[in-house]
Amino acid sequence: MIHQPVLVSNKLGLHARAAAKLVRLASRFSSNIYLSREDANQQIDSKSILGILMLAASKGTQLMISIEGQDEVEAKEAICQLFETRFGEES
Amino acid sequence: MAAKPEKIYHGSGVSPGVVLGQVLKFESHSRLLLKVHVEDVEAEVRRYLRAIEASKEQLKALKSQLEEKVGSEHGIILDAHILMLEDRLLNADILDNIRTSRANAEWVLMQATDRLVLTYKSLEDEYFRDRHSDIEHVADRIQLNLSGDRPFSWEHLSGDQIIASRDFSPSDFATVDLQKVRGLVLESGGRTSHTSIICRGLLLPAIMGLRGFLDEVSTGDTLLLNGDDGQVIVNPGPARIEAVRRRMEAFGAYPADSSPAQFGTPALTKDGVPISLRANTEMMHELSAAKNCGAAGIGLFRSEFLYFGHPLGYPDMEEQLEAYSRLAREMSPHPVAIRTLDAGSEKVGGSPDLTQQENPSMGLRGIRLSLHSKETFLTQIEAIFRASCNGRIEIVLPMVSTIEEVWQAKALIDQVRTKVRKEIGPAIQAVPLGVMIEVPAAVFSLEVLAKEVDFLCVGTNDLIQYMLAVDRGNPQVAYLFQPLHPTVLHCLNRITTVAKSVNKPVRICGEISSNPFYAVLLLGMGFTQLSMNPLSIPTIRRVFREIPMEASRQIAQKALTFITAQEVHEYLTNAVAKLVPWDITSYAKEIAPPNGRNGK
Repeated sequence: MIHQPVLVSNKLGLHARAAAKLVRLASRFSSNIYLSREDANQQIDSKSILGILMLAASKGTQLMISIEGQDEVEAKEAICQLFETRFGEES
Repeated sequence: MAAKPEKIYHGSGVSPGVVLGQVLKFESHSRLLLKVHVEDVEAEVRRYLRAIEASKEQLKALKSQLEEKVGSEHGIILDAHILMLEDRLLNADILDNIRTSRANAEWVLMQATDRLVLTYKSLEDEYFRDRHSDIEHVADRIQLNLSGDRPFSWEHLSGDQIIASRDFSPSDFATVDLQKVRGLVLESGGRTSHTSIICRGLLLPAIMGLRGFLDEVSTGDTLLLNGDDGQVIVNPGPARIEAVRRRMEAFGAYPADSSPAQFGTPALTKDGVPISLRANTEMMHELSAAKNCGAAGIGLFRSEFLYFGHPLGYPDMEEQLEAYSRLAREMSPHPVAIRTLDAGSEKVGGSPDLTQQENPSMGLRGIRLSLHSKETFLTQIEAIFRASCNGRIEIVLPMVSTIEEVWQAKALIDQVRTKVRKEIGPAIQAVPLGVMIEVPAAVFSLEVLAKEVDFLCVGTNDLIQYMLAVDRGNPQVAYLFQPLHPTVLHCLNRITTVAKSVNKPVRICGEISSNPFYAVLLLGMGFTQLSMNPLSIPTIRRVFREIPMEASRQIAQKALTFITAQEVHEYLTNAVAKLVPWDITSYAKEIAPPNGRNGK
């Protein structure tokens, strides 16, 4: 199990387009990948767009990713990169 | 799952009675969704998955069309919709629920959607909160793909449905199975709306004006509806349910503060003056309510309800004859006043298309329409005369504004009477003729009109609207609909004074007479015949028993001296409450003018 904090740094936050990208990416891995807000203990499945949108993560939100499974290392790297490149959007 | 928390809401109780039932959300006819027990759950699961696949194909096709037309950046929102269709959480939940509750996919999906939408609506961030509409779009598409193979049916309903809807028009009653409906909760509407009048007539407890209620409940939720005080409790606890069961055993559908009297017994004032209380009705199954509540006949039968939603557009002579005969027989020996067709904005066969009138309340309606479409009128009058041998029938002409209309109508009525007398001979009975006094012009030509007819009926609902130029259905001016406006009182006082001077009986046929305070005011002005929804009769009967005639006269005299509705209200509620030994203050609110807007 890997835990990794990430920061939502794109302008629009984890809105529908970014959430769709995240779901598509996460679904490529067999590991269970969960997201939670630092300020709430609710944990959601990052392969569920309805879950991600429910986080209501706007720009500047700190999230914790928890990954568990065979490809957890690859998954962590790919997802961190997606956050770091701000989902290909403006900051 | 743990017991759902109890939630309490307050609206306006427009039709009394307490019922327990389950919510049936009525959004539109095509989207009535119900819980249906399914035998083969795996087939239902496959059905749901097929609908998901079909929806996905449709969205993919739409997405590529959209991308071609406006560019790929806009296709992304449909991408999000496709992902919602595939959403693991949602689908796992739905498939689970189909299997465990053995319910149809539509119902399970709706429940899941409602829950999700509720969660989203609670989000603080506006962008994320608005995503509930995406969920609704996606769910609508799945529902549409599910709906092809199983149309809606009332058959599977348990029979304790409480309809929850934004709006419910009188014609919607035709589309529901009334045997299975126990109550009605609406987001819109109020006490004087037509729908609420029908509810009272049907003994159907109803609450209106509960804004946002549909977002708070789901089909299948248990609901406790108290039409007496306007309280709705979602997911009531066992103690409350038990209390309601006991109450229903004791009172049945009647309001707790009244007990029905024997059919036809007159009400009496404290000093023994008899007062006639008749019932306003519009549907045949209200007759038993009228009898059970001790009505001294029907004061106003709104005949247009025989026309609305009729498969042919209008009932033929035979059908009307049967309806009027039954009315007369059931109410015999008490009279039944049939108001001739009063359509204005509805589609009625044999008439020009009225639905396009820009201002139907001042358009071709009532007697104007009858004189315009004479065949329809002649058929109705003929049915009334033929039915006259079954009891005591009276005719009331609606919306009269000139004496010529009365002359023309009388000529037609005479023509029919002669024809029917030839055919059925002496069995034909005298049918007294009355006019509705509901247009200001009729109030001021009352002396002339009264000479031509046998009796007068005051339609206070319309009269107040026309006097004050206020459409009570328009929320922006509804506050100006003030039954206690001094002008309205002077108008009513003029009517009773003139009626007395020309020695013609006059009856109030508006919902206002079902308000105890207003009823005492009317009594004091000299109105000794009132007609109201059947359910209010026991309450008014009981109130009158506490009121000496002279006291009501003094109250009316004094009430006529004020210059604002606010002052009248203050005085009236105090003066009447002093005479009645139990608490009737809840009725004071119904006739209260709004605070602040036009008060002092």
